[in-house]
Amino acid sequence: MIYLVVAYAFGVVILGGFLALSLGHLRELSAKASEKK
Amino acid sequence: MTRYTRLTGAAVLLMLVAGALIFFYAPEDFLQKEPQRIFYLHVSAAIAAFACFAVVLGASVAYLRTESPRADRLARAAALVGVVLTTVTLGMGMLYAKPIWGAFWTWDARLTSTLVLWIIYAGYLLLRRLAEPGRQAARFAAVVGIFGFVDVPIVYFSVTWWRTQHPGPVIVTNALPPEMLLTFLVTMACTLFLAGTLVAIRYQIETLMDEVPSPAPSHPVGAAPREPEPAR
Repeated sequence: MIYLVVAYAFGVVILGGFLALSLGHLRELSAKASEKK
Repeated sequence: MTRYTRLTGAAVLLMLVAGALIFFYAPEDFLQKEPQRIFYLHVSAAIAAFACFAVVLGASVAYLRTESPRADRLARAAALVGVVLTTVTLGMGMLYAKPIWGAFWTWDARLTSTLVLWIIYAGYLLLRRLAEPGRQAARFAAVVGIFGFVDVPIVYFSVTWWRTQHPGPVIVTNALPPEMLLTFLVTMACTLFLAGTLVAIRYQIETLMDEVPSPAPSHPVGAAPREPEPAR
């Protein structure tokens, strides 16, 4: 059971973290681009 | 709410549906018990990673033919998402292997070729990061993107070409009971949607980064900043 929980926690942290970081980066760059315009 | 936020919301919702099927609908495996549930996301992440590397291949061929910056951006975006998905495949695979085989890792053909795949595309990303941006770097990276894909069929067929500890294909051989097969197909579809969302977000990031370049460093990458001249 412990391996199942750790495996899915690993998957959620990697995929969820990457998704959240990418979305945050996109927002930051979009704000910069609109400031430039 | 932007298009990308909506896409992200849909991807998260679909992954929650897949999670509900994995934990509450799919039956427990008679032999492997609870750890068998790792299979659903482990294999889905691997298939989504292969799809991303196929996109890198297509975009790299398109770049070499047309030199379109769009194709180059798509290759960069898909390579990064593919590496993240391969990381999930390898990590979850190791946590699946420990209770079943008694070891996190064994140097069999499937595991080793998957690690090589991760190294090839991590190298591709490193090349993109360290090389001076421009036509030459994009062309070199496109060649790596094309030849790197050679490892994908090697990973897929490794379990049939060589004797491995890793099990052979269970989907194409119809070895799964209907509830497990449905759970797997839904998880795979949801993971592919998530991968598509990630590639779309990363593509937009690459586009904006090309439009809003970061300030150029005052010294070459890897070199120490020059010390000021001492006063004479």
